[in-house]
Amino acid sequence: MSTLNTTLSEHARQAAQTLFAEVDGARAVVIATADGFDIAHTGHHAIDPARLAAMVSSISALGTAASRETGIGTPRYLVIESSEGRLVVRCMQVQDQALIVVVLTDKSVTLGLVWSHLSKAERLMNAA
Amino acid sequence: MATMTQHKIVFTGPPGAGKTTAIAMLSDIPPALTDVRNTDASLGKEHTTVGLDFGQVDLGNGQCVRLFGTPGQLRFDFMWRIVATDALGLVILIDNTRPDPLDDFSTYLDAYMDLLPTINCAVGVGRTGECPLPTVDQFGGLLAARGLAFPVLPVDVRRREDVLMLVDTVLIQAEMRT
Repeated sequence: MSTLNTTLSEHARQAAQTLFAEVDGARAVVIATADGFDIAHTGHHAIDPARLAAMVSSISALGTAASRETGIGTPRYLVIESSEGRLVVRCMQVQDQALIVVVLTDKSVTLGLVWSHLSKAERLMNAA
Repeated sequence: MATMTQHKIVFTGPPGAGKTTAIAMLSDIPPALTDVRNTDASLGKEHTTVGLDFGQVDLGNGQCVRLFGTPGQLRFDFMWRIVATDALGLVILIDNTRPDPLDDFSTYLDAYMDLLPTINCAVGVGRTGECPLPTVDQFGGLLAARGLAFPVLPVDVRRREDVLMLVDTVLIQAEMRT
């Protein structure tokens, strides 16, 4: 059981809803702690948010390890481009807490727009 | 030209059992880690593995062992099978100070149930000095009840020779199968 403060969890919940509303083609949004706990989720796609939170935690950690190994710094985005859609994963720091935000999208969605919305979500959560 | 035989051995077990420490103790290279800050107060530790650990050890007899570690928490069970794919052997580490070590052991036996009849396996029980119960024999009994027989050894994963003994135990089983 994660021990995040309730204020941060509430900001995450608002951010997930805003992302889902603003990203055209989003099917689901999950916000997780770096150690794989689901703290906020929304969407209309049938997913198990707790399981997806754990999976993106592993993916993000592997991305960080590969970045470290190759000396390319800290990962910001990881994208899983699949035949029927995308998982866009953003690693972010919010109020001293490492969070991972994943947006499940249609394949038609423009990646740059999703990145832009994810950056905005990070700014809003840090400003809140 | 000398050839090097490469093996893959996977360290698994509950959180805090010492998988990351064991790999770091044995590895010749700085291990690749996927530790993040832990937010689960019940674990009582600052960092936890969420992806996998990786290290490598040259045994000096033309054999090199690639050491992989899994995350411990049940929510990462999808990684348990991914990491164990094509492994020569499995080392199950147990922390005897946890509330129910035999139940922890059962969780991992269940998770790898289909692999266990054919894979080489060693069980390391840690912190037996602080908590002598359950005994090594009780872990052996749990294996026997499932028709399995693997070496169960008390270990301190902070001691390189203890970790090496677990790896050797797996390699000896593999040798006996060939």
